[in-house]
Amino acid sequence: MSSHREAPEISKDPVADSSDLYAFVSPDDPDTVTLIANYVPLQLPASGPNFFEFGDDVLYEIHIDANGDARPDVTYQFRFRTELRNDRTFLYNTGPIESLDSENWNRRQFYSVTKVDAQGKSTVLAKSLPCPPCNVGPLSIPDYEKLAEDAVHTLKTGEKVFAGQRADAFFVDLGAIFDLGTLRPFQDKHLVGQNLFNYAGKAVNATDKTNVHSIAIQVPLHMVRRDGKKRVRGRDAGAVIGVWTSASRRQVEVRGNSDGADVVVGPQVQVSRLGNPLFNEVIVPMAEKDRWNSLPPSEDKRFAGFVATPELGALLPALYPGLFDNLAALNKTKEPRADLLAILLTGIPDGLIDGFQNNTGALQADMLRLNTAIPPAKKENKFGVVGGDLAGFPNGRRIADDVVSISLRAIAGATVPLVNPDFEPDAAAAAVEQGLSIKDASAGLLKKFPFLGTPFDGFGNPS
Amino acid sequence: MSRVRYRAQTRGWLSRRRVLALAATGVGVSAVSITGLSLAGENGDAKNDGQPLVLSLRDAAEGTFDVFSGDKKVTITDRKLAARLLKATGR
Repeated sequence: MSSHREAPEISKDPVADSSDLYAFVSPDDPDTVTLIANYVPLQLPASGPNFFEFGDDVLYEIHIDANGDARPDVTYQFRFRTELRNDRTFLYNTGPIESLDSENWNRRQFYSVTKVDAQGKSTVLAKSLPCPPCNVGPLSIPDYEKLAEDAVHTLKTGEKVFAGQRADAFFVDLGAIFDLGTLRPFQDKHLVGQNLFNYAGKAVNATDKTNVHSIAIQVPLHMVRRDGKKRVRGRDAGAVIGVWTSASRRQVEVRGNSDGADVVVGPQVQVSRLGNPLFNEVIVPMAEKDRWNSLPPSEDKRFAGFVATPELGALLPALYPGLFDNLAALNKTKEPRADLLAILLTGIPDGLIDGFQNNTGALQADMLRLNTAIPPAKKENKFGVVGGDLAGFPNGRRIADDVVSISLRAIAGATVPLVNPDFEPDAAAAAVEQGLSIKDASAGLLKKFPFLGTPFDGFGNPS
Repeated sequence: MSRVRYRAQTRGWLSRRRVLALAATGVGVSAVSITGLSLAGENGDAKNDGQPLVLSLRDAAEGTFDVFSGDKKVTITDRKLAARLLKATGR
């Protein structure tokens, strides 16, 4: 998946598990950037009486690097607090929840937003902002959309925030991909699959009808750019920001204390990180994934070797015999994949793609890089920059971008000509895809902040 | 997040799995009762008075402890204390 349960240790700690990160110039307000970090992945909607929630003991952060040093110049911190209204019931709600302060709603969450600047100065922007409830079902929550709208808060400093349950919009054929790298549309051409299938299959969206918990913030662009300018040119270095999210826990927890309360002390230590989708999932070897999650992007040089010679790049010619011969020949040269190093670790420099750059300098760091001067596309192409749509991944990441297929095409060699004009990609590199789109995420999307769709309700899902 | 704090996190990285936690309150040791310690990076925080303090004996032979209090971690060395704690826990 993008980053759902992508590393051994965080797969056992879903409350702190970042699953997707989005960063795009807001189509509903193009003078702002929308940043969305999803946590608590793969929620089954019918999960009473203990519905999903953020961790009160987790520090959630969204970081923005404005000057290319892979260190945060602006960080937004989100801390949560859970309140129990009625300690005599086992129920999440004892009647319909029709407002965010409903007396029928027993277990509520609130959060604070803190902004930390490049010098480390913290400013609490808001406290006790209410989250919406989980979508229990139509009897408990007759108008979920209204409650969710009420949970969008505009801060005095200009940011807009939302934190709460949403439908997961990430689409991936997980079952096929991790069954020996099968892509169902090409299953009859797979090394093993050709013995089982004589037809192309139809992809399955494994994450459909699951929910996540989203932290979304919409920030005026001048507040995240290095020079504070409201207008910049696309070629200006100051147009590009790097974004990542992290979750941290206190270093020590002692359970079963005599008074019943756990002891949680020590500094915050990072347990989850996410910049580019799929980076830790399919680039970093399993033995290194937990370590990667503990480190900041400024340490990513040590993982550059896995980008330069990606394991998946070697697997494709073996798994799909005869379809990736040019890639196989490229692999044999053992030349580092400069195209992937640029896309994932430094950004694409000016001059390689007409009218586009999202380069942050020579420092190698996994960040979602967004050129904030490029306006939202009037008509999105799910293949983003690879499909000629400069407003999509890997220029930041929009919700509908097919990052699985884009990444597959890039690893298959489709982006090599950016750095090596003599290389001719295999025909399959331009055709390979998982066979899904945002239409396979059945909740749909909102046209305005926070964009992710209404979470699936527990009464109707699973059905 | 500040650059300084982020760097400190990196240096202080320690897998949760590796932390051997001893609830100091459970073995009769508190912040004010520890005497003769050589503190490294001590950063007192009055608001944490009365809150639990946790010791992790990282190196018994050297008497090296990580001491967790509030949102801080300091490193101390005290071989005698290490010996007393090992004795108290039957090791």
